[in-house]
Amino acid sequence: MTPLHEQFIVEARELIQEATEDLIALERGELAAERIDRVFRAFHTLKGSAGVVQLPAMALTLHAAEDLLAAIQTGRLGATAVTIDLALACLDQVTDWIDAFEARGALPDGADEDARAMTERLRAALPKLASEQQAQAHAAGLGRPDALPDWVSRLFQSQRETIVRHIEAAPTELFALSYEPRADCFFTGDDPLQLMRQTNLLALEIEPREPWPPLAELDPFACNLRFKAIAAGNRADISNVFRLVPDQVRIFPFPATALGATEAARPDDPAALVRAVLAEQGRVLRAATTAEDLPGRVGAAARVATNSLRHMRRVDLAEAVETASAEALACADAAPLLSAIDATLESLPPKKQNGTGGPRPMAAPPANKIRDADRPAAGSLRIDQARVDALVNLAGELAVAKNGFAHLARRAEEELGSHELARAVRREYEALERLAGEMHSATLQLRMVPVGQVFRSLPRLVRDMAQKLGKNVALVTRGETTESDRTVVDRLFEPLLHLVRNALDHGIEDPETRRAAGKSQTATLLIDASRAGDRLVVQVEDDGRGIDSAIIRRRAEQRGVLSAEELAGLSDQEVIDVIFAPGFSTAAETSEISGRGVGMDIVRTTIEQIGGRVAVRSQVGIGTTMRLDLPTNISMSRIMVVEAGQQVFGIPMDAVSETVRLNPDRITHIKQNDGFVLRNRVVPICSLAELMNLPVRPRGSSDMRLLVVTEATGKIAALEVDAIRDRLEVVLKPMQGLLSNARGYAGTTLLGDGRVLLVLDLKEILP
Amino acid sequence: MSVRRERNGPIILDGTCTVEDAEPLLQMLQQRPAAEIDWTRCKHLHTAVLQVIIAARPALVGPCADPWVQQWVAAKPS
Repeated sequence: MTPLHEQFIVEARELIQEATEDLIALERGELAAERIDRVFRAFHTLKGSAGVVQLPAMALTLHAAEDLLAAIQTGRLGATAVTIDLALACLDQVTDWIDAFEARGALPDGADEDARAMTERLRAALPKLASEQQAQAHAAGLGRPDALPDWVSRLFQSQRETIVRHIEAAPTELFALSYEPRADCFFTGDDPLQLMRQTNLLALEIEPREPWPPLAELDPFACNLRFKAIAAGNRADISNVFRLVPDQVRIFPFPATALGATEAARPDDPAALVRAVLAEQGRVLRAATTAEDLPGRVGAAARVATNSLRHMRRVDLAEAVETASAEALACADAAPLLSAIDATLESLPPKKQNGTGGPRPMAAPPANKIRDADRPAAGSLRIDQARVDALVNLAGELAVAKNGFAHLARRAEEELGSHELARAVRREYEALERLAGEMHSATLQLRMVPVGQVFRSLPRLVRDMAQKLGKNVALVTRGETTESDRTVVDRLFEPLLHLVRNALDHGIEDPETRRAAGKSQTATLLIDASRAGDRLVVQVEDDGRGIDSAIIRRRAEQRGVLSAEELAGLSDQEVIDVIFAPGFSTAAETSEISGRGVGMDIVRTTIEQIGGRVAVRSQVGIGTTMRLDLPTNISMSRIMVVEAGQQVFGIPMDAVSETVRLNPDRITHIKQNDGFVLRNRVVPICSLAELMNLPVRPRGSSDMRLLVVTEATGKIAALEVDAIRDRLEVVLKPMQGLLSNARGYAGTTLLGDGRVLLVLDLKEILP
Repeated sequence: MSVRRERNGPIILDGTCTVEDAEPLLQMLQQRPAAEIDWTRCKHLHTAVLQVIIAARPALVGPCADPWVQQWVAAKPS
């Protein structure tokens, strides 16, 4: 995988994402004209890139999709569910290919077949204009004999003897074929001669489509050839040779007797060619990576661009590009040339329909108003995630290493008895702490990404699902720019997907039910991200039927999730929380979309793994709100250091509700267990030393007891410890090697004095 | 690179000429429009290279070692 290929994959995915969003917005009729232009541009760029990395099947498919989009652009086709579905299906196909290309560096085996099938689907949706119908008929080899172009006769006469001899020697069908490779075919990896070589030729004529320009202006990368040939063989074989370029070839069955009427060649579209060439130059320039190869690339790109512009007689534009190239070379930066090329692309006439319509007015496409703010700003860098992580780790280690100075200060005071030295060390420590802290948060900022990334695939999902379920749903997303740590945002995707699916499948009613209930037929699904302190809160809110606690009670009992007695003790709101219990599903029957009874507990588990919490609120008939409360960064954890059984342990602060110093006479003994009453709740007491199988320190009956109260397991409990030490911010390392299977630990961290601190996972150690 | 130029001699196409060879060939022809092209060692010719040859119409030293090109292109000047 070369850097070019990597770049291609990244950009292709971005383009697919953008096009998907725009297609869905287009279907809703938002800013239709601008959207379709953008979609078209995305497809076009994608096609060009596919050509550069030599994926002809992909380029071909996208080319067919372009025709469909062009038909929407010109209003010949509506942006209906059917056409948008087709365009989206095409993007799905391309996505599959990109995945395969990333994994194996090549398209999968059946790609050519898939490309052909997709192309046919796309073509079938195009409105049939008379001339197109005819062209298609010809392409399919259905041309009537009287439609044979006159060159056939001429070519036949010129090779008459050879052909006649051939037929006499081995009787066979004859076909006349005209092959006009697309001007950018070299970019898509085609070698037209290679196709011609595979036919059983009897006569061949190669001619320029446009008169040759002076040699100085010839563009070696644009194919300007037309092949006219007479070939022997059967139709299937010939069609097979040209299977990937069906739009560029016409095959006429040629009974040697029938030489008749003529047919005009399809008018060409020089602007399209120039656009393609210019777009390629832009790509070449953007791919420039080192200072050494920049002048070469700038020179070559400018030359090709000016040549092609002159070719379409736009000397003015050619000169502008030339000026920009000089500027680019002068400042050793491709940017001026790039913007000139982009500007030129904007001012070229939009792509013309094949064989239809006159030239459209030269109006520049409307400026891009929709979402340019989201595009990476100039001067932004794309950095490998691993490098950022390395930096974050180092900054974290530094924050830990600086803790050593606090320890040093204590030793200076205790062992040397020097307050002076201790204070000096502490001052240095504070300065270092501030810098290390700033550095740590600055590096963590590098990992911050907008949560909107996760939202981006939702419109498509909601649209497809709503369609499948026959529901009307308007998706509203808010707070896309809210940032959180990359890991949190990445892990958020799956739970969010489950919640959205559940809302659509179970929460939102079909239009009739909604109307009967006096609601608007279109349901609203709101996904809202916001910052609350250092937490990220994501809410998924629907205005559907809500969760009926009575149904939950019934089902929870049926499924044996909770006993009748347990259920009786729960409030309605608490009962709703049972949907997160493993093995619980409210769907009457499992559906394709959601509801195999695994969804909601996976949501809770996934969210808790990244230090988050899920809560549900629901009102029957009004709707349901799922609230995800997530950390914004998970690299630093706050822990409390405690001592028990002559060892120190860390307890994650987010598991700690409070610490209590308890007079022993408040402790009541219930069988073998101790407990006490805290604000009207009975809290069982567990000794941490006992839980860890460590010697329990004997204590006098009047000694104060030290308790850490936690609700980490969902039930309240108190851990008895011998001492509570510092509170620290640490980088928590997962247990590694032999210890990775040790239960009861969330991870390890280094203490200031170099000792390793084991951080407990209270959920696993509490009974 | 399958295209090279002998000092004051013909431009030589050698072995397999790919799409990459079209631009250097064109540049050589632009610099010396009168140059001959020797394609007696050219085993395979890409369309892009052929296009340059057709457009520039240089004097050709043949026969072309690509038999298909020799049969269908070289033997029948268009």
